[in-house]
Amino acid sequence: MKRNLELLFFLLPVIILVAFFVYGFIGWSFYTSLTDWRIIGVKGEFVGFENYKLLFTKDRSFKAALFNTLKLSAIFIGVTMPLGLALAILLDLGIYAKKVFRIIFLLPLSFSFVASASMWFWMFSPEIGVINSFLRLLGMGNLAQPWITSSSQSLWCIAIAYVWQFSGFATLVYYSGISSVSEDIREAARIDGASKFQEYWKIVIPMQKPVTLTVLVILLMYSLKVFDLVWLMTGGGPGRSSEVLSTLMYKTTFSRNFFGRGASIGIVMFVVSLIIILPFFVRRRRSDYE
Amino acid sequence: MKKSVIFLLICSMLLLSFTAFSAKENELLVYHWWTAGGEKVAIDALFEAFLEKYPEYSIVENPVGGGGGGLMRSQIKTMIMAGNPPDTFQITYGTGMIESFTSVLQPIDNLMKDFNVPQDVMDWGRVDGKMYGVPLNIMQSNCLWYNKEIIEELGIQVPINSVGELYVAFEKAKAAGYTPLAVGSGMGQGYWIGTLYEAIVSALPNGGEVLNAYYAGEVVPSENETLVEALKILGNIYNNGYINSDFSALTWDQAGQLLATGKAAFFVMGDWTKGLFDASGLKSSVDYGYQSFPGSSLFVGHADCFVLPTGVDSQVAKDWLSYLTTAEAETVFCPLKGATPPRLDAPVEGIYDSIALEIMGKFRDPEVTKILSEFGAPPEAYLSLFGTFFSEFFLEPEVNAAILENFDITYEEVFLY
Repeated sequence: MKRNLELLFFLLPVIILVAFFVYGFIGWSFYTSLTDWRIIGVKGEFVGFENYKLLFTKDRSFKAALFNTLKLSAIFIGVTMPLGLALAILLDLGIYAKKVFRIIFLLPLSFSFVASASMWFWMFSPEIGVINSFLRLLGMGNLAQPWITSSSQSLWCIAIAYVWQFSGFATLVYYSGISSVSEDIREAARIDGASKFQEYWKIVIPMQKPVTLTVLVILLMYSLKVFDLVWLMTGGGPGRSSEVLSTLMYKTTFSRNFFGRGASIGIVMFVVSLIIILPFFVRRRRSDYE
Repeated sequence: MKKSVIFLLICSMLLLSFTAFSAKENELLVYHWWTAGGEKVAIDALFEAFLEKYPEYSIVENPVGGGGGGLMRSQIKTMIMAGNPPDTFQITYGTGMIESFTSVLQPIDNLMKDFNVPQDVMDWGRVDGKMYGVPLNIMQSNCLWYNKEIIEELGIQVPINSVGELYVAFEKAKAAGYTPLAVGSGMGQGYWIGTLYEAIVSALPNGGEVLNAYYAGEVVPSENETLVEALKILGNIYNNGYINSDFSALTWDQAGQLLATGKAAFFVMGDWTKGLFDASGLKSSVDYGYQSFPGSSLFVGHADCFVLPTGVDSQVAKDWLSYLTTAEAETVFCPLKGATPPRLDAPVEGIYDSIALEIMGKFRDPEVTKILSEFGAPPEAYLSLFGTFFSEFFLEPEVNAAILENFDITYEEVFLY
């Protein structure tokens, strides 16, 4: 009993802080989303779900942002995970200069988002960017693209920057997962005549399910609230072509002074994240018990 | 164990109390967005001059650059909502922008006695008859800048007197391989296309009245002939290939550099561009020239001002704002910033170059109508919402039913809901 009280005493400050700053403010944001708050320093009137109705009926930026967020998440996760796994396998195969490559793969992770955004911005600049300049240098100027200035390419450019930044993380987690596969199991497979490909395809990769789930959940959580690279590379443009929910929330709240509607976008982001991520947590909890 | 926990608690409480009561009585906590070039030099000189006059005070400045003040305004809003406003901060001087903040500002009419500025400029800072900001520097937005070497090479006569003549000049520049018009609206700054649009409207018949009504939320854009005509001209400028293809990747100053480096012939931007060209080593009236947007007899502009937030009662803040109303403060700040002093009695001879004097002449001429620009006249939301609208318009610059509907919806969003 005394031990429990002691534990409670030490945990209480954290519980209070988390309850107040995390759950308290989620509740406050939800309440704000039910108001028409537009004037700085003056609380708005209660309008029920009017802001949500506006978002889903009149606000064309919201529809574009929701679609772009999901599209960006799909591209980001769809490329980062297989790439991370492939690089981890390469490292596990004991490629030449393994340590150097390990650093190269992990280096992007250590870059700040501002630094990588500036770098990729200049890579994708159509007139003076590295990629188009290189193409022109090779006499392939006809392949030069408008990149971030094109409404159909801007989101892809951002996705490439995110993949570059996070593939090192996926590689790291997968590599630790692959390293933890018992050598006995792999040796047994080899004795049974399994080729290198079969060893990975039938033994190592299937054993990465828990790791895959971890990587997936972390990347999903990140991709659903992406802001930094989008804001710094395109600001959501051209037009609304790379607008995502978080940049729209920022603009709606702070540049347009629709505080209530901004809060409702935040709540939608929260709900979308819950809908997508909760099943993974439930599944993981079940598998933990199993 | 117990002792160390108590010690830590005492330390934390002491730290908290020091943080809470650290603001000093004679200290001016000021936020502004002048962080680079001539702007930074100008505000530093102004602080120095203020402290020379009031040596008992000190200044803690928090410059937040970027986004034409947008980032700083976001930060200020969170500070105000948290009940912790600075002593004073910078915003754009204009009824719409000031109105977005009046709920948290104090009127300062009593600090602005004998403030000798044109009446209409005085009214730019008034909301419900009360004055909320001290304008420090007047800026003209509807300016056309040109690279003198290119103009002379192509035999283009200046001043250009109409939009039609401007098209002819654009054609000549295009044929010679130059970018006719430099535009930069990247990093979410689509409102610079709005500056171009505004300049076009100012050149059309009744442009002044239309702009005033438009920014006051009194029109239906799709039903206003002048606004629709201006949109068509904007679309034509894009469709005819007069604009640099990477406009949506460049900021306004990067676009200005296209003119400075001899790649572009013209640039439509406010008179703050002069500071950019001067900082790039170009000589005013030698390397680059200025005129109002062709066909426009209006002075479209705004100013930057400092305000007094609600709850701030310090003498230092009031002395600061009073000081800004003086010709002395304007004479320290405006020449370095490259702007026009708002006071009509501020000295000018031997202080400003010929372009600055030309702009000043228009500002001081009572016959020239002054129109508040997009940065000050409409509510703050205009810049962001119409930034997106104009940026989207440039993706498919055709004036059709869909774009006009979008025009009306965006306008409604700024003014109605």
